[in-house]
Amino acid sequence: MRKLIYFIARALRNMRQSPFLCTAAVSTVMVALVILAFFAMVVLNIEQLTRTWSQEVQVTAYFAAVPGADDARQIASQIRAFPEVSDVDYTNPRQAYDKFKHRLGEDADVLEGMKKDFLPASLSISLQERFRNRVGIKTVVERLRQDPHFSDLRYAQDWLVKFEAFLALLHVGGVVLGGFLLFAALFIVSNTIKLTLFARRDELEVMALVGGTPGFIKTPFLVEGALQGAVGGGLALLLSYGFFQFYLKEDLSHLLIASGVGKIEFLPPLWQLSLVATGTALGLIGSFLSLRKLVRI
Amino acid sequence: MIQIYNLTKSYQKDASALKDLTLRIPKGDFVYITGPSGAGKSTLLKLLYAAEKPTRGQILIDGKNLTRMNTKKIAMVRRRLGIVFQDFKLINTRSIFENVAFPLEVQGKKRYEVSSKVYQALKHVGLEHKLKKYPLELSGGEQQRIAIARALVIDPQILIADEPTGNLDPEVTLEIMDLFKSANARGTTILLATHDREMIRCFPRRTLSLDHGQLVEDRMF
Repeated sequence: MRKLIYFIARALRNMRQSPFLCTAAVSTVMVALVILAFFAMVVLNIEQLTRTWSQEVQVTAYFAAVPGADDARQIASQIRAFPEVSDVDYTNPRQAYDKFKHRLGEDADVLEGMKKDFLPASLSISLQERFRNRVGIKTVVERLRQDPHFSDLRYAQDWLVKFEAFLALLHVGGVVLGGFLLFAALFIVSNTIKLTLFARRDELEVMALVGGTPGFIKTPFLVEGALQGAVGGGLALLLSYGFFQFYLKEDLSHLLIASGVGKIEFLPPLWQLSLVATGTALGLIGSFLSLRKLVRI
Repeated sequence: MIQIYNLTKSYQKDASALKDLTLRIPKGDFVYITGPSGAGKSTLLKLLYAAEKPTRGQILIDGKNLTRMNTKKIAMVRRRLGIVFQDFKLINTRSIFENVAFPLEVQGKKRYEVSSKVYQALKHVGLEHKLKKYPLELSGGEQQRIAIARALVIDPQILIADEPTGNLDPEVTLEIMDLFKSANARGTTILLATHDREMIRCFPRRTLSLDHGQLVEDRMF
């Protein structure tokens, strides 16, 4: 414990003695993590957007003949028992007419003279979130096709293909770009810390010559790297939150609400903690890599 | 006691900085290592404080073989050595007090012990009033006295000095030599590399003369 306090005190003193290099290291971590935080925020919000879109994924089954109320209830409850299905909503011809009329708006007069029950009765079948994909839809549709009550089934197959391709691209892009950003951040942080070590090479040499063990010499620099990383991570969090609060929340939401997102979300608490932890890890690994190359005792 | 057997150090394939050197330095001795530039003086000292590894041969300090030690054991040996350089090697961002306290800090000594020993060491070199200053605020002679205080603060068994007066005036050289002599009188073995013949004439002690990496003379007084 005494040693740990000593190492932290020495790391803090080193940071105080080289304010410029310390600021450079903290700023590098901060800038790298702000970029990463924005990227994560964009990916998370697009994921949120796709979740909203995916609620639209449903199958509409049209009855061949209008069922009685009991039959409709029974058929609906049978379909509701499918593991892929989350909800089934029955629409009788009259309700279908009203919806259609409402949708036509000012052009509703085209319906004049038509009977109010000319549209078929239908079931709107919503799927559980994990089955809102091609395979899930196909399973449900194949099962419904064997049911003689239905004359027609409608589902957005083409849209689903595009939606899934978009999701795959988002995930692959997220992993590749996020990984690249992290790697770039590590490279920059490691080089900045190398500069701080280079500026202290005399101290490192003297430390070794007066009997400092490798652990004694290296640990304060590792602690310093971790502290700088943590401060950089914390500042990145504050900065991205400020930017989110004063700019993104208002302006970007106008754009995204048009696409169906309710509101723009900031990073969830676990992600916020991860950001600071990533900063700490970046500083620690950056210091470790630099020490390995620069300090030969 | 330092024992050196068949010590050879080659930086290049055909040229050896030290060739097949064998010698013994008893505890408490005061030894000059002299010779022209490139004779191998600094190489010998670097091998003694394990900043370099020999190409061949053995170095034993108090019977322990330095050439077979890992970095942690070498660090423990260095805690019993005081080292003084021509360019002082003080840390310019640390105060005089912090510079002298550095070896004690490395050894994990308690704060009150550090303060008292540092003050004694600075008093011994006559610079106790400068403890709050920084190295670059002092003259060359004062900086070397601080470097000696740093070497002596741990009461070393062996003090290794590489051209410690090379950059200093003759008057300052006398002061520095007095410090080495008093350390030697307290039982510290002194190894001092110099090419200053005048210094050896004024303070005659055992002198090892090197030339082209070989011991050409071992003169006793």
